[in-house]
Amino acid sequence: MTRLGLTFLENRLRPPGAVEEERFMALCIRCNRCLEVCPYGSIRRAGWGLTLGTPFVLPDSKACYLCMACTGLCPTGALDNELTDPDAVRMGRAKIDPDICYSHLFFDMDVVPEDAGDRIGALCNTCYNVCPLPNQAITLKNNLLPIVLEGCVGCGICVERCPTRPRRAINVLPAGMGKTDETGFHFRKARKHYEEVSVQGETDPKEALKGTDLLERKQKIDASAPATDFDFPYELGDETED
Amino acid sequence: MFRPYRRTVQVAFFALMFAIPVLNMYENYTITGTYYALQVGGLEAADPAAILQAVFASGEFALPILSALLFPLLLALILGRVWCGWMCPYHLLSDGAFRLRTLFRAKLLGRHETEILAVPSPLKANFCRYAFLLGGTAAAGVIGIPVLNFVSAPGILSTEAMILVRQHALSIEFGFIATIILLELLFFPRFWCRLFCPTGACLSLIRAPFTLRILSNAKNPKARCCKEDACSAACPMGLAPYREGPDLLCTNCARCIDACSDGEGSKLLGFKGFFLS
Repeated sequence: MTRLGLTFLENRLRPPGAVEEERFMALCIRCNRCLEVCPYGSIRRAGWGLTLGTPFVLPDSKACYLCMACTGLCPTGALDNELTDPDAVRMGRAKIDPDICYSHLFFDMDVVPEDAGDRIGALCNTCYNVCPLPNQAITLKNNLLPIVLEGCVGCGICVERCPTRPRRAINVLPAGMGKTDETGFHFRKARKHYEEVSVQGETDPKEALKGTDLLERKQKIDASAPATDFDFPYELGDETED
Repeated sequence: MFRPYRRTVQVAFFALMFAIPVLNMYENYTITGTYYALQVGGLEAADPAAILQAVFASGEFALPILSALLFPLLLALILGRVWCGWMCPYHLLSDGAFRLRTLFRAKLLGRHETEILAVPSPLKANFCRYAFLLGGTAAAGVIGIPVLNFVSAPGILSTEAMILVRQHALSIEFGFIATIILLELLFFPRFWCRLFCPTGACLSLIRAPFTLRILSNAKNPKARCCKEDACSAACPMGLAPYREGPDLLCTNCARCIDACSDGEGSKLLGFKGFFLS
C-alpha cells in the first residue's frame, strides 16, 4: 500500500463517517451515491487526479449539515454504515485564526488602533451561533472569545458562515491531516536527532518513551509539586553578589 | 423477434440513469446510486469489477459489499452476460455507433459486406480482456486505488447523467466515453465491449451448465448449418453463434436468433438454459 493520492487540504473534507484516508481511497468505488442523496448538495465530486470521482465537502461554499443521509448508503463501507450519531462524526477540526477573527481582534485591541486598517474588531461570534453542537464543539471564553473544543466534528458550518473575506477566520483541517508521521521535515529531523542522542546516551531507543506515552509523561509534570531533590555538589555562600 | 424487447430494456436502463438523480432531487430515495452500485428498495447491486477492485485495493474480504454481488451474480448465473447485451447504457451507444458506421460505409464507400472486427479470434479477444482485467486488478492492489473504475463505461455514463441532471455539467470522464465511442465509430467497431470492458469480463466468468446460452438444433452443431451464415454476420461479438454460443464473449443479445432463418419460418438457433431444455 502506498500513499498515492493522499493530499490533505484545508477546508476539503471527506463526508461524515469516512474511514481513514488511505483506506477510503481503496474502498471508495466512486459510485457517487452519497453525493446523490445529500439533500443540501454539500458533497462535491473531485474532478481531477487520482481522487477523481471521490466525494468531498468544501465547507467554504457549502458545509455538511450532519443529516447523516449518506453514511448508511455507502455500498463499500468507505463511509461507516453504522454511524448515525452526528456527535460521533470526525470529519476534521475547526481552527480559528486569531489574526483575522473579528472577536479575537476585538478582544486583543479593546480600542481599535489607528493602524488596524481594515482589520476591524467586532463582537461577531457567528461561528458560535451557527454551530450545531454549541458548548460541545465551540465555546465562548468570557462570553466573548470563540474557542474550538475537542467535541468539534468538523462539519464546517462555521466556515461557511464566517464573515471575514477573502480568508475565513475559522477553517477546518480534515481528519488525518495532522498525522505526526506525515508532518514533514522538522518532525523527522527532531526524531532522527532524538534517536541519535538516545544511542549515544544510556537510553535504549526501543525503551525510550515516544509519542503519546512521552506526551502523557510530560503532561504529568506538575510545577506545584514539591521540588525534586537533586545532587548539588557545591556549597552556597551566604551572600549573593548582584 | 427479440430485437424490440432488447431495445426497450436498453432504452429503459438508459432512461433510468437520468431518472435516478431526478427522483433523488425530489427526495425519493427508493432507487439510489449509479451503475457502479445501485440500491433498489434496500436491495444492493454493485458492479462486480468495482467490488473486485475495492477488495484488492483495501485488502479486506469481510466487506459489507460482498452482499451487493449476490444479485448481479445470480442474474449472470441464470441469464448469462445479459447486462452487457440488454442493459448496459454504453452498449446502446456502441450499437448506435456501429449502425452509423455501417450506414456510412454503405452510403459513402459503397461497401456492404460484413466488417471484420479488430482481433477476430474469440480466443484472443477473451485473452485481451482478461489480461486487461487482471492487470487492472493487480494495479489496484499495488497502488491501493480502484483504478479500473476510471475506465468503467457504464459507471462513468451513469455518473455523467447524474452530474448532468444535478449540476447541468459534464466532468472530465466524459472525454473517455467520447474517445472510445469515436474510436468505435472511426476505426475499431465494438472494440471496448469485446476487448477491454472489465465489468463484462467479470460477468462472463459466472457460468454454470444451466446458464442461458445460444445453441443450435442442427444435427452437426460444429458445421455451418446454412449457406448465408446470417448469424455470424449479425453477432456484435464476432462469434459464429451456431458453434460458439457458449463462448464467454456471448451476451445473449439474441441478434443471431433474429437473423437465423432456414427459409421455412422455423429457426435452428435458440436459447437453452435454466427454464428451457
